Amino acid sequence: MPVAAIPAKPHARPDVALRRVGSEWVLLDAARDRAHVLNLTAAVVWTYCDGEHEPAAIAEAIVADIPAPDPAKIRADVEDVLRRFAAEGLLQ
Amino acid sequence: MAVPPHVLEFSSDDATAVPALDALYHAAPATNAPPTLRYALNRLGADAYIATSPTRPPFGPASFGDAWAFVEWRAIEDILNDPGPETVFVHAGGVRIGSRLVLLVGASGSGKSTLTALFLERGHPALGDDVLRFAPPEGVFSAVPRSLKLDANAFHLLTLETRTKALSSIGTLLAAGSHYVSPAALCPAWESKPGRPWAVVVLESAPHRGSAALERYSEGEAAVRLVQSMLGAEFGPGAEARTEASLKLLESLGEAAAFHACGARPSVLAELIEEMAQS
Repeated sequence: MPVAAIPAKPHARPDVALRRVGSEWVLLDAARDRAHVLNLTAAVVWTYCDGEHEPAAIAEAIVADIPAPDPAKIRADVEDVLRRFAAEGLLQ
Repeated sequence: MAVPPHVLEFSSDDATAVPALDALYHAAPATNAPPTLRYALNRLGADAYIATSPTRPPFGPASFGDAWAFVEWRAIEDILNDPGPETVFVHAGGVRIGSRLVLLVGASGSGKSTLTALFLERGHPALGDDVLRFAPPEGVFSAVPRSLKLDANAFHLLTLETRTKALSSIGTLLAAGSHYVSPAALCPAWESKPGRPWAVVVLESAPHRGSAALERYSEGEAAVRLVQSMLGAEFGPGAEARTEASLKLLESLGEAAAFHACGARPSVLAELIEEMAQS
């Protein structure tokens, strides 16, 4: 998959839907006939993709939301997740 | 029970063919509604039959096995082609073990029919071995009346008593060497009540090797497999309805566990799934 640039303020496509399944989450991209399985962190990142939060702000919010021994890893994970969302065309 | 979109009627002018058609009919949901789709299997001569359906030209003269297989094929195709409102079909098997509904997902040849037959023989009712009905408004799965199609290996896993009782018409028309077995022959009260899944078991594709094993699996991946198993647009809803059905299907799986099953011994696998569901 090509490396995708993360938008300045990631904005989720409104036609992509998020649903919880068991301990995981699924993003349904019906327009492209695709579905993506997310873990909790990625699902929370998705909820912050409202076009108003910059990646750093999303990362800080998630560090606050999800207490973890290694905040730096959370920040890196958030960046990876946003890059994946962009690469998969899930952002507008 | 809601009247399904179609009520099927099977008839024959040949007394020897009636039990075979009864097996199909027994598998249909009980309803007093008048039939909307009529099928007939009439005899022309020694092992020469002609089969008629509402949606295709007459088929035959053909052997009994082929004519019967034509009727069975047309019946399920006609149901799938016109599911009626608020219904989609999913390519999966489903059995109820105790109070728990377990869905079986996998490619053709992965063992859905074999496991369903083994569960039926163990007294567990089923929704079907290959096609399930899903009602998005309620988020529940229900049975599709259909004979199980078993290959010779799967058929011989059944007990001799069951094999003797079962309708096992060797089909040569669509699937050479297949045994069409009525679920009612395997378990008189074969039809499970509708419900939401307790678990989804993703079956490994053939060829199956090694010991039977059942392991925890990603709930999300299993759900995606099930969404991808929704039968295509040619069978029903347009894109918008399909999206809505996909979301309802995901919601229906909200609390479902997921497992991955593999191995070459379906009887052992059936026991593992049974133990898991009864735990």
